[in-house]
Amino acid sequence: MFFHDLKYFILSQLKTKNLIFWLLLFPIALGCFFRIAFGEIYGNLTQTEPIPVAVVEEKDNPVFRSVLESMQGSKDRFLDPVDMDEATALDQLKNNTVEGILYINDKLRLTVAEDGLEETMLKKFVETYTLRETILTDAALMHPEKIEAAAAALSKDCHSVAAVSVTAENTNNFTQYFYNLIAMTALYGSLLGMQICFNNQANLSALGARKSCSPISKAVSLAADLTGAVLLQFLCMAVCVTFLVFVLKIDLGNRLPLVYLAACLGGLTGVSIGFFVGSVGTVGQRVRTGICNAVVLLLCFFSGLMVGNMKALVARFVPWLNEINPAAVISDSIYCLNLYSDYRRFGEKLAAMLLISLLFCILGIIMTRRKQYADI
Amino acid sequence: MENTVIKIENLVKRYGDLIALDHFSLAIREGEIFGLLGPNGSGKTTTINCMLSLLAFDKGSIEIFGQKMTPVNYDIKKQIGIIMQDVAVFNELTVYENIDYFCGLYITDKAERKRCVMEAVEFTGLGEFLKFYPKKLSGGLLRRLNIACGIAHKPRLIILDEPTIAVDPQSRNKILEGIQKLNRMGATIVYTSHYMEEVEQICTRVAIMDKGKKIAEGTKDELKRMIKNTETITVEVLGLSEAIRNEIVQLPHVYRTEYDGERLIVFCSGGTHNLIRVLDVFRTHEIRVGRVYSELPTLNDVFLEITGKELRDRKGDSHVLS
Repeated sequence: MFFHDLKYFILSQLKTKNLIFWLLLFPIALGCFFRIAFGEIYGNLTQTEPIPVAVVEEKDNPVFRSVLESMQGSKDRFLDPVDMDEATALDQLKNNTVEGILYINDKLRLTVAEDGLEETMLKKFVETYTLRETILTDAALMHPEKIEAAAAALSKDCHSVAAVSVTAENTNNFTQYFYNLIAMTALYGSLLGMQICFNNQANLSALGARKSCSPISKAVSLAADLTGAVLLQFLCMAVCVTFLVFVLKIDLGNRLPLVYLAACLGGLTGVSIGFFVGSVGTVGQRVRTGICNAVVLLLCFFSGLMVGNMKALVARFVPWLNEINPAAVISDSIYCLNLYSDYRRFGEKLAAMLLISLLFCILGIIMTRRKQYADI
Repeated sequence: MENTVIKIENLVKRYGDLIALDHFSLAIREGEIFGLLGPNGSGKTTTINCMLSLLAFDKGSIEIFGQKMTPVNYDIKKQIGIIMQDVAVFNELTVYENIDYFCGLYITDKAERKRCVMEAVEFTGLGEFLKFYPKKLSGGLLRRLNIACGIAHKPRLIILDEPTIAVDPQSRNKILEGIQKLNRMGATIVYTSHYMEEVEQICTRVAIMDKGKKIAEGTKDELKRMIKNTETITVEVLGLSEAIRNEIVQLPHVYRTEYDGERLIVFCSGGTHNLIRVLDVFRTHEIRVGRVYSELPTLNDVFLEITGKELRDRKGDSHVLS
């Protein structure tokens, strides 16, 4: 009975145009739109080629030299420094062979030929280094015994500034739209969740009434339909992530299996929310679907799907909202995965998703398991 | 005595202040086609929903096949087939898939299920439409699919809640014939409708409901005997005088007449040869008449007389004499 119900739930949902649109076509179309809209910027930001820069050493600076050396050994380096004299450097700058000239003196100076993304990144690097150098100088004056440790820290920081803050952080400004797109797709799983209620509750549809009259127990029926909805949603999430990564070439980081995991758990969250929404009240299917769509888009709005810095604004003014907004939790999970090397925050986000899913599933089951209705 | 399949006692169902079922009792015997007749809002569907344990009720008891009906009494549910007022099928599944799905909720054995599905398909004449989706079916075919989904598992008790709503006359006749065939095959049928002629055509016993109450119950003949009117004679005649009408009212067994300037309707209670006596009056006065009809009472007359609705209609009718 379980597998019979499961089979037909999946079969019927696979043929439901409304669901195919919201769970597959709409996210793919929106992903393509984002890709086209942010395409050039995104391509530049995710470039893997280091920026060629001329280094003119006017004065010996061992600290900066160590920063450059440590950077050269890194596979994530974003600078390709070449030592040369000033005349050659100016000549190469003019020919666009290098994007800028770094003058090493007491203070680090930068010369660029024009304004552009690479030049902006170089300026940011110089600013960051100068700031750190000032900190180091102050530390040397106040704690000379710790100067070696501070120099090592500065070197390390500059490397990380180059690899993460400059490159990755800027990329996130655009990649987070895709994180939110994944969150939106996951939450559209709520449509599948709602369908479970329409198929099982006698007070919501004739189908539900007919099924309630049959000898299949509510528990088996709900379990089969929930399983079917979750499996379908996993499939949709897998298609969505695969499309973003392999067709649109969106860089979702190196830990792709975990991105799939986060997306699937997000899908589970979406299904459970829909299941709960579907089980409350007796409003019709169309109205309920409309409400669900609106709520999903609202949640995604607050997580930054429409306005890039919305999540930062929410974090500043209503920080708790990001913690309970499922869309924010889902997009944050992938964000954390790509920002932090450890798994603590990622794990926290997954746990939050599981908790939300569990909560809504339990509430939904409590509401749906009712055997008789006061009104049909 | 035949076995009682459904036994309802003192059922009360309230929706707030509205009493949908008011101490409603009923006993349906095995092998019957039992008609539950009443206007919209009389409580027929509420009764069905209570019977099926979909709807909670305030008072009373319901037994089906001698057991108390509860939402988790799956033994009883296995023996019931339900055909809802609204078509309850998946629009995304084909005709075959729909029947197979609902049949599969009752029959787990695949081979047996397939056989049952094909028998239901044959019974409802949907063989040509197995791969069709419900949206591609006409209203009549859709109703037949709805029926096929409800009967494929060969239930002992079939409940049909107004299955012919919005169905063309041809499909309606086929549905009614199908119901009689199911009954001949051994199923007990509960049939609700507000179409009196349908109930009259197929039901062996009838309960008439109004405002949540059972106002009459019995075979068609028993019900017809309950009312005063036993024959209605209609005569097309122009310019009939008051005196002639009074003469007709004075005839034996005639208790009332109605005249609208073109047609005289004579209501008789009991007796024989009423038509001959009425026509004799016209012949005596050499009055030419048009078409003449004599009709025996229908369930419609029974309902109108028992519910008192005719009495309310008469208030504004100045042509009525009695």
